[in-house]
Formats: sequence, C-alpha cells, structure tokens
Amino acid sequence: MRPDQSLSTMDPKVAWSPWEPTAQEPWDARRVRHLMRRGGFGAKPSEVKELVELGPAKTIDRILGKNNTQALEAFEQESSQIVSAIRSSGNIESLAAWWIHRMIHTPSPLIEKITLFWHGHFATGADKVNDIELMVQQNKLLREHALGDFRKMVHEVSKDPAMLLYLDSASNRKTHPNENYARELMELFCLGEGNYTEQDVQQLARCFTGWEIRRKSFRFNPYQHDSGMKTLLDRQGIESGEEAIDAVLAHRSMPTFIAGKLVRFFVCDEPNPTAEFLEPLAEVFRKSDFTIEPLVRTILSSKLMLSDWSVGKKVRSPIDFMVESIRSLQVTTNLDRLAKGLDGIGQALFNPPNVKGWDGGRAWINSSTLIGRSNLIVDLLREPATRFGRTDLAAWLKSQQLTDQNQWLKWLEDSLLSVPLNDSDKQLLQSIAEKSDGGLDPWKRILVALSQNPKMHLS
Amino acid sequence: MKRRSFGQLGISTCAALAIGTAQPGGWLQTLAGELATQDQSSSVTDRILVVIQLSGGNDGLNTIVPYRDELYAKARPKLGIPSNDVIKLTEELGLHPSLRAIENQFSENRFSIIQGVGYPSPNRSHFESMDIWHSCHPKKDRSQSGWLGRWITEQTAHPTSDSTAIHIGSDTLPLACQERGVQVPSLASLEQMRLKAKLDSMQDKQSRPGAEPNSKDSGSLLDFLSTSTVSALEVSERLDKILAQPDASGDFPKTALGEKLRAVSRLILSGLKTRIYYVTLDGFDTHANQPDVHASLLKQWSEALAAFLSRLKQTGQHDRVLVMTFSEFGRRVSENASLGTDHGAAAPMFLAGPKLPKIIHGPMPDLSDLEDGDLRFKIDFRSVYASVLEHWMMTDSRKALDGDYHDQVEQLRLFS
Repeated sequence: MRPDQSLSTMDPKVAWSPWEPTAQEPWDARRVRHLMRRGGFGAKPSEVKELVELGPAKTIDRILGKNNTQALEAFEQESSQIVSAIRSSGNIESLAAWWIHRMIHTPSPLIEKITLFWHGHFATGADKVNDIELMVQQNKLLREHALGDFRKMVHEVSKDPAMLLYLDSASNRKTHPNENYARELMELFCLGEGNYTEQDVQQLARCFTGWEIRRKSFRFNPYQHDSGMKTLLDRQGIESGEEAIDAVLAHRSMPTFIAGKLVRFFVCDEPNPTAEFLEPLAEVFRKSDFTIEPLVRTILSSKLMLSDWSVGKKVRSPIDFMVESIRSLQVTTNLDRLAKGLDGIGQALFNPPNVKGWDGGRAWINSSTLIGRSNLIVDLLREPATRFGRTDLAAWLKSQQLTDQNQWLKWLEDSLLSVPLNDSDKQLLQSIAEKSDGGLDPWKRILVALSQNPKMHLS
Repeated sequence: MKRRSFGQLGISTCAALAIGTAQPGGWLQTLAGELATQDQSSSVTDRILVVIQLSGGNDGLNTIVPYRDELYAKARPKLGIPSNDVIKLTEELGLHPSLRAIENQFSENRFSIIQGVGYPSPNRSHFESMDIWHSCHPKKDRSQSGWLGRWITEQTAHPTSDSTAIHIGSDTLPLACQERGVQVPSLASLEQMRLKAKLDSMQDKQSRPGAEPNSKDSGSLLDFLSTSTVSALEVSERLDKILAQPDASGDFPKTALGEKLRAVSRLILSGLKTRIYYVTLDGFDTHANQPDVHASLLKQWSEALAAFLSRLKQTGQHDRVLVMTFSEFGRRVSENASLGTDHGAAAPMFLAGPKLPKIIHGPMPDLSDLEDGDLRFKIDFRSVYASVLEHWMMTDSRKALDGDYHDQVEQLRLFS
C-alpha cells in the first residue's frame, strides 16, 4: 500500500490480508515502533531490538497474548492496591490516575489500549454515576471482555449499573418506557444511525421495561415488565430484554459497524471506510462467532496496518501523546496532576464528553489543546515529582549515553515521531537548544519545542 | 494595540498563503485587510452574533410554558409547571420560574421567543439532530461543513487580523463552525491560551514549524496539524496582549456558562474584531429527575445571559450584539416514568440583545396535533438562521445555508 493510495482504489481482500516484509518495507525498528504505538502505548526503548528479531508474526502473538504471567500478577496486585487506596480515600477523581498508571506499567499494553477503546465506545461518565465501585466494576467488565465475546459484553453492559445510571435508565416502567438506553444500544453501541427506525427504539424500550438498578445492582422487576410481544428490526415475537439484545446483535450491520470503529481506532482516522471495504473484517468477526480477538488480530497484522500507508494516518490522542512520551523517557511523575492535565486537553478518563465518547481524529486538535499539550509538558518538567528512570534528566541522559543535543534530538525523533523531521524542523530545534529562554535547560527546551511541532501530534 | 510590522506580517501572510490557508477565518490576514479595519467606524459590519447551544435537547414546553393549556397539564401530571409558578408573559404563555433573571429583557423589547422551530422528518438522535442544525442538511447529503463555517468563507469584504469566529469551551469545535480551509479557534478559556514556556525562536514566525508546507497533499492530517499550530501560536500571542490589558468583562455568575460569556465579554470589550462567538451549555438531556436539573440549567442560562446583556448595556455595546439560543430538539410532550422526558422534536429558539420588534413569533404549541407524540415544527430553523444572517449580520445567507430562505425571512420579520 503506497502512502498516498486512496482506500477506494484498494482491493479490500488484499488490504486485510497479512502483511509480509519486503525489501522496500522491511520489518525494522521503525515498523516495530509503529505497531507498538497503535497496538499499545509505544515500544519501550529496551524492547525494540528484541521485537525486530522476533519478527512480525511472533510480535503480534506477543501483543495479543497474556504471556509473562509472573509480571502480570505482580502488576495486578499493585494495581488493586491502588484501587483500595482510592476506595478508602473516596476520591473518585483519582480513578483516572489509576488507569494511567496501568497504561504506563502494564505488561499487556494492548489490553489497556482496547479497554480504552471500549470505554469510549460504551462511554460512561463518573461525574454523573458518582460511585467509585461502579466505575471500577464497569472498567473491569470492559477489560475482561476487551478481546472476548462481543455479544456477551453487550449483554453485560446492558445490565451494568454504571451504564444504566449514566443513561438515566435505572428504572423502566411498563406504562412509560424510557427510550434512552434503547436508542443508544442501537445508535452508538451496535448498529449505527440509520440502521433502525423510531418504531424500533420504542419497541426496544418496551423490552427493557422492568429492568432496574436497585442498591447498585441490576434487578428484573416482573411487575413493571411489558410482557406483550414486540416486533424489533423486522423480527416478530420478541418479548424479553435479552431476546431484544440478541435481535440487535444479529442485525446485518453490526459486524461492519464494530469493524469500522476498530479500524478508525487502530489504523486511520480518515476516511471512513465503506461497508464493502470492511466486509473481509466483518466476515472474520462473523466466522469467529463475534469474538473480538481474531478481528483485532486481522486488523493489526494486515497489509493496511503494517505497510507505510497507515504511518502518520492518526492524530495522537492526549493519552497517546503523554503515555507514549512517559514510557519512552521512563518518566515517573504526579499522576493525579497528569490526569487533570489530560482533562484540560480533551481526554478525561472516566469522564468522556458524552455517551458518544471521544470523536478523536482532528477533533483532538484546536488552539487550546495544542497550547495545552505544550503547557502540560512544561508543567510536568517543572513538577518536582517528575523523575526520569528514577533520577533527574541529566543523569538519565548520561545513562542512555546521550551526551550531545544532536544525539538527543535524534533519539527523540526515533522514539516519539512517526514522521521524520525535515531540515528546517531540525534547524529550529537546534537553535532553540542554543538560545536560553523559557526558563528551562537546553535539553528540556528541545522537548518543549518538540511538543510545539505538528509532527509530535501524529501517530 | 500594537500593529505588527510590515515585515512580520508579510512573512506570515506569505507562509499562510503558501499552505493554502489564508482564508478569512484565519488569524493570518492580508495587509490590506489590516489597514482597512484601522479606520473602520461603527457600522453594521461591527455587528456580533453570539450563539448559545443548549446541548441535550431543551424541554421547550417547560421553558416557555403554555400554562393554561389543559393538554399540557394532562401530559405532564408530575413535571408540569403550575400556572401559579410561571412568570406570565401573555394570557397563555409564561416563563419557567428559574428564568427570573431575564424577565426585564422582555419589558425593554430586547428578547424574542420563536415558537415551534424545527425541520421536516425530525431525527431524535442527539448527534444526528445536532449535525442537522449545524450543517443545515439531512444526513444523506451532508458535507463536513457547517453554516457558520461556510458563512465565514464569504466574509472577504472586511477582513481583519482577528479570527472571524471563536468557539469558547473545552468541547469539540462545533460542526457549525467547520469548513475546509477555515480555522476557528477553540479556546477552553482565555488564560489557558498562554504558553507557559515561550521559546523566542518559536515566536519567529518565519521559522515556526508549519510556516512552510510540510506535505505536498493539502488536506492531509499533517497539513491540518501544521496550520492548526500556526493558528494556535498566533491566537496565543494575540491573547497575551489582551490579557495584559485591564479586565473589563464585568461581573458574571461563577458557572460554566457564566465563565464562557465572561470571556466573550472580555474579548468584545478588548476591541477584537471577531464577529461570531459560539458557546455551549450541556446537560439538557433530562430523561430522569428533570425538575431540579432543568431548573438549575435554565437558571444558569438566564443568569449568565442577563449578566452578559447588562455588561453590554453598561458599555454601550448592546445594540451591536445579538445572542441566539437553540437546542437540537425539544422533548416528548408526555413525561416518562423516571420523572423525565424523552427526545422530542420542535422547540423554541431565543434572540436577545438589540431592540427587537416582537416578543413572541410563531403560533402557540398545538398539543392536540402531535407527530409521534412530539410537537410539529412550524418554523424551519434555517429561516431563523437566514433572518440572522440577512437582517442582523446584513449578509447574504444562501451559500451559508445552501438554500434560499428569503420568503420565510420576509414572513418572519424577526428584526425591525
């Protein structure tokens, strides 16, 4: 796939077939970083060489697999300790810091990344739910099914207290069905707008009557359930909420809708691929009985994903922007402050803007968020808690054998940028290192200047 | 305000032209444009439009209450506003009690209600309906551009160095303000736009990243990021100067909308040449526990609006600023079982600011003639937009709205 080739001229079957290295497109450090950026939060400097040697197929296995169980166990233990601390502090805002901690330290970055995808997909806001336990419970639910059975995930989300509280659907009475969850289930979670009618919304809402959240748990209240027969999406004889969810999931547009959203998340912000282009993926999804893992595997190992075509085809989300930098530079810092900073530039974890989640792509970028991204880097550089590999930047640079600023710049370019700097970018960055301004040392100035370079926002 | 030197301006202008973004919406403008605005006296080209978007679907019936309508009381046994509580405007209509702050705007003829606004075949998805209001098109033939974005591309007669439109808020830039080649800055707040570490070299426009074409294919993500970066640094610089002046914004309630309108007030009073300000207030999706939530939102809206109008009056600006409020749809006439209302269709729009000829436009909501349980629309929202663009901004509306609404504009007569 040439970088400038338009999707409409590609054969979908070829685009989604497995990528093979060629002389022009070798499996090298650059491609490893690209894959790790999209399928996680960037490669750690230490693992790049190892993954190059491992080759593409085994690298994908490793990304998708739950290897290194020992590390995983230790990580989960640490993570649950943080949750306990948040529980006892009662500070729901700290949940964002907890998740960022997971993203930085997880041995399975893809799991956190795709859980973040599902959080944006089944968007639920802690501000409204206002319950630490329920938000943690939902996050666990999404992580548990992140690569699993999509239908099971939808069934469980439909009874998830946080979701139903967020959508004002905690009570559904026979006489006055609440349409909110019914509508979002079809519009945002499974089918996409235009694949159902207003009639379907009303019928589906009837199926959910009697579904309640009482004392933080789901409960079916038969006295409030409308047990009449409903016709939903041209299917007759549907009675219960569960049957209705199955009918929605069985709709022909579901696999394409989900595949399209995953492609946008992993491969390219634009253009929106056509149903025809997504058909091979929809087929993989159907064949696996709607298991998510084979679908994600097909996407990540595809020609479209691993050829040069997809490099630079996504705008970094605030989380990608920060977490990738932090992992590369082995930073530890005040994560509550970082979480607040991410909120300021458009990505408050556990508080997506609305039930549609984050729009992503170009919507991440505007005057405020661009200035805000640079300011967040400055804030963290000035934050006393910020450490590089448990020491200060100067010592860390020495430990990495980065002794002059040109090397430093090259290192940053290799580690953090998907698209290389041009000569004038480099000249500017070098001149910034030489002039003393901004109240920072030259090494940090280069980092700040890079945060104001458009290429820093590309993935 | 210090004018930029010829040299600096020339460079940034050429750079902007080179990357094909020197649209009237950008902060980078031609020298001719800068000069033209210097001795521009107050005129219709000074007029400002502030759009307030109530996101989530505002319950029109509980905002402007048909308090004597028996069908209203019947459909809203729990949620209906009792006639004793409404602030009566006419024999039939009254304001929600939380709208006390704007009551006096009516006696001064500076507030209009346009009843029954909507569009054919109403869509009840928030996102789709909002997109229809923003783009003026139903989904099937929609381009990724909005009515204000398209309007901006036409405002070439009086270009200034200031952005034609500004969105204040940390939400995504509304589709209404989008159009290819147009950069409408989104400012979470004025203060947030200051760079914490200013690098002198980055202030040198010639060498700024993005000041030269990075990529051959215009329209690529990198191209977009480059032009956005140039624009952000320009906005930041301009705001640095504005924030260095004394704050003339006045007293505002400490609410989300209050803060946004305070920022708009500060920008207007600083002499910025921006014509359109866009702000949103979210939370109107009242499926449950509507009474408290809705009352507090209406209070927030009306108090922020009242503070804004009062500040404009104090500073003699109130005849040049129009505030237009809308929501993506109204709500179902009948209440639901969760003490709330579901998505509906037609609802009122509001104009405020200058002297307006009439308090209420459009017929009374007819609760006996519903479409799927919702009010039928009587006035197309595009004819309201057209009136604002034609008779307030004094510009042609056809390109912005992708249609000719002159007949409806004549019928409506929203402005004297």
